[in-house]
Amino acid sequence: MRTRVAALLVIAVLAASSLASSAGARRQADPLTIYAAASLTEVFSSFDRAQRYSFAGSNALETQIRNGAPADIFASAAPLNTQRLFQSRMVERPVTFTANRLVLIVPRSNPAGIRSVYDLRRKPVKLVIAGAAVPVGAYTRTVLRKLGLSSVLSKVVSQESDVKAVSGKVAFGQADAGFVYATDARPVREQVSVIRIPAWAQPRIRYEIAVVSRSSRKAAARAWIKRILSPGGQRALRNAGFLPIPKATR
Amino acid sequence: MNRRRFLLSSAGASAAALGGPWIGAAGAATDEDIAFANFGVSAEFLLKDFYAKALAGKQFRGPRANALRQGRTAATKHARALSTLLVSFGDTPPVEQDFEFAWPRRTFSSAQTTVKTGLVVLRALLGSYQWAAASASVVGYRILFASLGASTAQQLGALSALSGQTSARSFPVAMDVETASAAIEAYLG
Repeated sequence: MRTRVAALLVIAVLAASSLASSAGARRQADPLTIYAAASLTEVFSSFDRAQRYSFAGSNALETQIRNGAPADIFASAAPLNTQRLFQSRMVERPVTFTANRLVLIVPRSNPAGIRSVYDLRRKPVKLVIAGAAVPVGAYTRTVLRKLGLSSVLSKVVSQESDVKAVSGKVAFGQADAGFVYATDARPVREQVSVIRIPAWAQPRIRYEIAVVSRSSRKAAARAWIKRILSPGGQRALRNAGFLPIPKATR
Repeated sequence: MNRRRFLLSSAGASAAALGGPWIGAAGAATDEDIAFANFGVSAEFLLKDFYAKALAGKQFRGPRANALRQGRTAATKHARALSTLLVSFGDTPPVEQDFEFAWPRRTFSSAQTTVKTGLVVLRALLGSYQWAAASASVVGYRILFASLGASTAQQLGALSALSGQTSARSFPVAMDVETASAAIEAYLG
């Protein structure tokens, strides 16, 4: 009798551990859910195709995470969004993982004849920018203020929800000019020309990444963040046109 | 405004330029004031880097190197004053770490090329300060920009003397931000 009980116990333990390990393996194979700024679309998708991504304006993603969206990782185009969630303990401590620059893009045909950012003041133009709550929209307003060109905001014909919508409108000729990240000009380079913004007027564009506190896969999420911070991850970002982690935040 | 009040306000503005009280006029800044201050801080950081590299280049020794040291000190103080001004406008001023300055190869390999490059930066900066001194919205800002311009002109004279030339110009060219920026954009990285 004792032998039979022992045998049954062994079977039960083996069955339980087999179930647990198959669940573990499934979890291992399950993709992480990564909420990332729209400007990271190309680079994240090509860096790791195995994960599940949701790309949008960082402000919209912040709101979704706040409302309980099932994200494992949040990568934002501005520290403001990650830091606000960190203050509310909704993400773990964020880290800076890359940087960017702002540029002005115009359609290849350049119907408004824009050659410099200062032409926005001189010429009648249809300007498209992102909304003020979207990081790229806030950075655009900072650039215009630094350049002494805030008055050109009166020429804005449309305010978009993310940077891809801005680059798309300019690429399709629906606007004469738009402010986007340098990395977002690349995918539409056949359709647009890029106009540099002086270095002294550039805003401090820092991307932050953090593990979402509600994630059930924190270890895997932390490992993924390590990968993006690794030399390989940083190389992928640089190849896509992103800037290295700024000295001040290292 | 009568003459006495004007003189009093000028004296106040003068003191402001020396100690920072131009902040008293905060809130009155125009788009152009902000642009000149932002450009000025960045160009002063560039100038500070220029002086540091010129000293490291060891083309100038003894008393000749002192002109570079004094220039570096002035650039540091100017950047600080303009940063304070920007903070008073409610803006975040640039910091040196925001820039990756890009000097052409061989800039610091001879006294002549060093001076030549430095003069390009100083002329753009002086030109922008002249313009800002004329266009700033508040007397205090105008006096600050005029002081910065005067100091920059002194540096211009000292630097050109290092190459045995005289750079005295009866009417140095005033520049708007766009023109001054274009003159040194390549160095700002």
